[in-house]
Amino acid sequence: MITPLKALRKNRFKTSLIFVSMSVSIAAIFLISAISGGVVSMYSAMLKTDGDIIVTQKGIADTFFSDINRSLNDTVMNMVGVKESSVLILGAAPVDTLPIVGIYGVSENRFKSYSLKQGSIPSQGEVMLGSKIYETLKHPKTVTLSKKEFRVSGVFKSRIGFEDGGVVMNLVDAGELFHKSASIFLVSLNDLSQSDAVLKEVNLLSSEIEAKTTENFIDSYNQFKIIKTSSDVIGAMAFLMGILGIVSMMSMVVSDRKAEFGIMRSIGLSSSTIIFKLLSETLIIALAAYAVALGTSFGILELIENADKFQGYINGEITVTLMINVLIVSVVMALVGTFLPAFYASRIDPMSLIQRGGA
Amino acid sequence: MKIEALGIEHFYGHEKVLNGVDITITPGSFTAIIGESGSGKTTLLSILSTLLQPTFGNVQYDGKILSELGNIDRFRRTNIGFVFQFHYLISYLTLRENIALGAIEESRVDSLLESLGISNLSHRYSDEVSGGERQRAAIARALVNAPSVVFADEPTGNLDSKNALGVYELFREFSLQGTGFVVASHDKKIADYADVIIEMEDGVVKKVYK
Ligand SMILES: Nc1ncnc2c1ncn2[C@@H]1O[C@H](COP(=O)(O)OP(=O)(O)OP(=O)(O)O)[C@@H](O)[C@H]1O
Ligand SMILES: [Mg+2]
Repeated sequence: MITPLKALRKNRFKTSLIFVSMSVSIAAIFLISAISGGVVSMYSAMLKTDGDIIVTQKGIADTFFSDINRSLNDTVMNMVGVKESSVLILGAAPVDTLPIVGIYGVSENRFKSYSLKQGSIPSQGEVMLGSKIYETLKHPKTVTLSKKEFRVSGVFKSRIGFEDGGVVMNLVDAGELFHKSASIFLVSLNDLSQSDAVLKEVNLLSSEIEAKTTENFIDSYNQFKIIKTSSDVIGAMAFLMGILGIVSMMSMVVSDRKAEFGIMRSIGLSSSTIIFKLLSETLIIALAAYAVALGTSFGILELIENADKFQGYINGEITVTLMINVLIVSVVMALVGTFLPAFYASRIDPMSLIQRGGA
Repeated sequence: MKIEALGIEHFYGHEKVLNGVDITITPGSFTAIIGESGSGKTTLLSILSTLLQPTFGNVQYDGKILSELGNIDRFRRTNIGFVFQFHYLISYLTLRENIALGAIEESRVDSLLESLGISNLSHRYSDEVSGGERQRAAIARALVNAPSVVFADEPTGNLDSKNALGVYELFREFSLQGTGFVVASHDKKIADYADVIIEMEDGVVKKVYK
């Protein structure tokens, strides 16, 4: 392992270039995956809070468009196996100076799932603010929501960024604001084994509604698919850019070092040994770049999470799985990017390599 | 090892620089290749030493052509040494590391450093020693696996006459111990050391004597 380090030190400038470009690509992959994963997992977490089953309007693409009759919830609540069922209206509206904020109208029984930091739960004409938006708006006494003024009754803390940056109110007010009876029901069960029976019963209740397990709903949720696909596409582009960057820079490195490789061949080192040497050099760079990119990504995500501008909506999550996946991606990127030019050079006669390259 | 070149022709692009070369290098001999600049010495030496594939013709090593020798890198490593006009030591390695890079038996490295008189410089880098010392290190690198034949292309081209003589003396020493040498040079003095002299002219062998 001494030789690759010495070679890297000798070629400091290009080593740094490769290092920087790899770090940027890897950080880009981390951030886009973390942020999109964060969005998906935040929304999932919100739905999963006290929700084993989710009821929406049938065939609807997005929960924001869903419109169902909230009186049906009374029937659902009394079904065998149902522990609790709450009604939510999901919407978005401008709040004071903020152009768009998530608004959650919730039934009385759901208020207890918010941990109140100060004040009380909202009655009619009142709202409860997430701690993040409360800070952003500088501790307001009242807020204007779609031209209507509401008194701030309390502040709650939620680790789910959407909620912490959002506004919670009671169903009646939200119903007037968004002109709907309910968006979704979140049903929690006494026992998960009853879910099939409850699903069946709810689905028989009305032809307008559709019940799914929350897991199932999240898997098939279109918005998540779109987010995930776009993040995969952007991630793949960052990956390709990374590979192209490494290929072009490694081509320069290999070209600069033709004579060196020709000499190595002339003393009988095999092409594969030389390719292996080069691969270990880039592997070292890749691992260092990975470490730096990981650290930087954590730092950037921390900044974004705490930035007022994003109201806590962007909440990146670097999971162990993501770390492992990106590590594999980084290593593949480095190996492929190096192998191509190295392999090309290995096909040339040693003497031609020596004559064509400076030492 | 007996080396036989048969009908070697070589082109760089459309330019023909070797035009039918047939020569035999007998095992353990000291062969000098002389001829004017551009006559094809370097090209011929590269082909004989497996560092370059000829466009036409082939070279046999103890009766076997290249493709019958198995892994060419391994063959080169155990049987052939090469000394260039420019030392071509790898700049980020010390002299010792350069010599050890291709060594099959690490133990030979130090005895070679000793017998070439550069053991006190073994931990220096090539830009920290003199031209003559560099060339000695390059010679040690060529000799490290006790090859049957060492090819040298103008090994004294960058040295003053005192250092040049030192290099020839070294070659003679190892030649007496049985290593074959094929040396291309402008230097007429090489003739004093050689058993056979091959004179090249315009890509063909003009004559072979002594
Ligand atoms: N890599 C190359 N590409 C194109 N032409 C080349 C190349 N190497 C050598 N030549 C040409 O081939 C001819 C023979 O060159 P070669 O180097 O074998 O001669 P030489 O006898 O070693 O000359 P010198 O004594 O100057 O080293 C020359 O005309 C030279 O210009
Ligand atoms: Mg020459």
